[in-house]
Amino acid sequence: MLDAAVERKPSLIGRLFRSLRLPLNEPFAVLGLLIYALFVLTAIFADQIAPYEPTEILFTPDYNLAADLRPGEDGYILGTTSLGRDIFSQIVHGSRSALLIGITAAFMVALIGSIVGLVSGYFRGWVDVILMRLADIAFGIPFLPFVIVLAAFLEPSIWNVVIAMALVLWRDTARVIRSQVLTLRSRGYVDAARVAGSSDLKIILRHIAPNILPLSFLYGSIAIGWAILTEASISFLGFGDPQSISWGYMLQDAFASQALAKQAYYWFVPPGFCIILVVSAGFFITRGYENILFPKLGR
Amino acid sequence: MPHLKAALSRTLQLLLVLWAVVTILFLMFRLMPGNPMAAYIDPTFTIEQQQALMAQFGLDKPLWEQYLIYVGNLLQGELGQSFRYREPVADRILALLPNTLILTFTSLIIAYVFGILAGAYLAWKRGGVVEHAAIPLVLTTRAMPEFWLGMVLLAVFSFNLGWFPAGGTRPAGANYDSLWALYTSRDFLTYLALPALTLAIYSQGLPLLLMRSNMLDVMKEDFVTMARIKGLSNWTVVVRHAARNALLPVMTSFAIAVGYQLQGNVVVESVFSWPGLGRELVNAVSASDYPLAQGAFLMIAVVVIVMNLIADLLYAFLDPRISHA
Amino acid sequence: MTEPLLSVRDLKVSYTVGFGKIDAVDGASFDVPRGSIVGLVGESGCGKTTVAKALTRVIADNAAITGGRMMFGGRDLVTLPEREMNALRWRDIAFVPQSAMNSLDPVYTVEYQLNEVLRRRGGLGRRDARRRCEELFELVGIDRGRLSDYPHQFSGGMRQRVAIALALALNPKLVIADEPVTALDVIVQRQILDQLRELQVALGISVILVTHDISVVAYICDRTVVMYAGKVVESGTMQATLTEPSHPYTMGLRNAFPDLQGAASGVLTPIEGAPPVGRHD
Repeated sequence: MLDAAVERKPSLIGRLFRSLRLPLNEPFAVLGLLIYALFVLTAIFADQIAPYEPTEILFTPDYNLAADLRPGEDGYILGTTSLGRDIFSQIVHGSRSALLIGITAAFMVALIGSIVGLVSGYFRGWVDVILMRLADIAFGIPFLPFVIVLAAFLEPSIWNVVIAMALVLWRDTARVIRSQVLTLRSRGYVDAARVAGSSDLKIILRHIAPNILPLSFLYGSIAIGWAILTEASISFLGFGDPQSISWGYMLQDAFASQALAKQAYYWFVPPGFCIILVVSAGFFITRGYENILFPKLGR
Repeated sequence: MPHLKAALSRTLQLLLVLWAVVTILFLMFRLMPGNPMAAYIDPTFTIEQQQALMAQFGLDKPLWEQYLIYVGNLLQGELGQSFRYREPVADRILALLPNTLILTFTSLIIAYVFGILAGAYLAWKRGGVVEHAAIPLVLTTRAMPEFWLGMVLLAVFSFNLGWFPAGGTRPAGANYDSLWALYTSRDFLTYLALPALTLAIYSQGLPLLLMRSNMLDVMKEDFVTMARIKGLSNWTVVVRHAARNALLPVMTSFAIAVGYQLQGNVVVESVFSWPGLGRELVNAVSASDYPLAQGAFLMIAVVVIVMNLIADLLYAFLDPRISHA
Repeated sequence: MTEPLLSVRDLKVSYTVGFGKIDAVDGASFDVPRGSIVGLVGESGCGKTTVAKALTRVIADNAAITGGRMMFGGRDLVTLPEREMNALRWRDIAFVPQSAMNSLDPVYTVEYQLNEVLRRRGGLGRRDARRRCEELFELVGIDRGRLSDYPHQFSGGMRQRVAIALALALNPKLVIADEPVTALDVIVQRQILDQLRELQVALGISVILVTHDISVVAYICDRTVVMYAGKVVESGTMQATLTEPSHPYTMGLRNAFPDLQGAASGVLTPIEGAPPVGRHD
């Protein structure tokens, strides 16, 4: 099944790309990848797309605060906040912090989880016992409260949220990778490589790592969604980074400014939609992956 | 009895995890930069007054001694004094726990009943139009921030239509003879409806997807084919055999979902001003009331850990292959 | 001679695979006389299990009976409305599956599964059902105290007996046994086959025994039907088939049968090539 590493590969990049085994024949996964692409482009070109600075306080032509304008009024696509900021521009810029949070958290979770899983599954013995007990402990820590406490105690910044998430979420990835490594180890070619005199490092890098890469990627893509949702919750509760405009921050702003009572749907619905879009894109990709990695589960 | 031994070792493991979490919790709150009581020390206090206050909360002793005192107190069910309320943390938490549990269980029961039925139905009608539309929809509900869903429901059903109150557990000024009277009053239900619905919509995805995929697996089993060859009715085949078998792991996931839900409650309780553990944790953290935050955190952690254990034991209990080994 | 209990004529069953179709059974014809054991024999993939399942009309989602007749008690099972077919299942045609482990529901006791058939399909009351359960266990030689056990608590041979008890529950006219002893060791195989033979004679039922094992057929069958590549290539009495085979496959089968006198019968004679597959895309 996972024989990608056996054939000869032309270049490192091509090899890496191929061993990711992107689920390009699953329509929903492709849709997910397209949403991701759109979202990355928006984040990159945010300054060009957004008509205003997200924190800029705007005024009407007759010098009043441009507060609580409805969509379309005075040319504001999605209207303005109670402080006279452009909602559309905030949405566009929100993609940046979501991207930043999502990618870094996913990277850290996948990296830590994969390394722990690899080491644990490959070396077994007491290393394995200790690492898996640590995973048990991480499973006992309530995730969101932990992130809240850390984010509140350390100075509020995106990085602290990412670190807090990575400290807890590595556990799921580590467990799955570990059991995959155990399966791989029991196959003949690892023994064959060892008999042939390969070092542990070489066996891990050449024979095992390429085969667990798709799993790391799968768990990374799950973590992107988790990270974005978590950041939104943290910002909503007021423990987020006040310097960056995120979708969670927008929702907190709307909630605190009575947007619900004012029935300002244009204010709090779009950020929610953006979160749903990006997070479900991750789920769609994940699902496509599962159909490839575990074909039995398929519909 | 081999499973008794397994349960015992599992319980020991749980105690180990519990101890580790308690220690992490202690370190987390004590190693924070700054004086933990900074927010509660009036600048006009004299040095002596400050020290007296620190001593009152045991903060003048070395770290290891504080740790031993902390663990010792915990073993006696003593969670310390809240900085803010100047009352025992344990009392406050116990007073809030029922609210959280009612919200959690109401929403989860709704979610599981719906999720199990819908999941079984989708598996039965596999490959149909309904299924192709339903699965992405379910994934989308899992991708929703719970608090956002709560906001939308509030804006529509409370602020626009006026069907439900906007938050809390009781009308302003209303008094009840007892907690029981409150929980059984009709008002309470109208307050419970929106937060419970919010959490239920978010939570139904897990049992639904799990039930569906288990059903699809079980339907391929020989005993399901045999049930058809026996001429049993479609209902008997699907419900008594396929669903009954597929249900095992779903029931176990309920216990795990309780733990997850408790974490999700943190935000939803805040949206609906629901006086529960989660909201208390957020408020305590915001107000730097460390003993209270620590207590609420610990309570949530204990429920998460205990529920993980119950999930294991429940599985062993429900599956005759393990319970009748 | 009376008319046979079951008479299959030109039966066709095909599977849809991808965009093509495979004829798993391509015009099979055979008879099952009353009160006899008929061995349906052939190598794996020859369509014998498909025939067995087709007789109950519970077949895979991607399979369909595309032609032929299956006359049973004056009615054609191929065209019988589903409601009437379902009334026939288990009451007239019962089934002993290949692996009783997987075909008993793991979460119910054996008694529950017997009761289910007796009460839902046989219309028995609680007390009658209980009595019948004990009777059936006695019939297959299992202690009645084990009725309340779960399937996993029985050994392989015992589970197969349970499956036989289950099949006999409603006094069917025909029992289809799909490789009933394949998973068992030789001694247990023999016990089960002896018991099957005994019960068949005592109850006067007919049995279709599906197997790939010619020695099993030789051991208890009255007649044999040999299938190869979806077709019946040989049928007749056990004696005739084994002494005067006409199809090269049957000759091969016979030669593969170890000589009971102990003399090695020489090399196996395989048929050249692989069995043809009736595929049309």
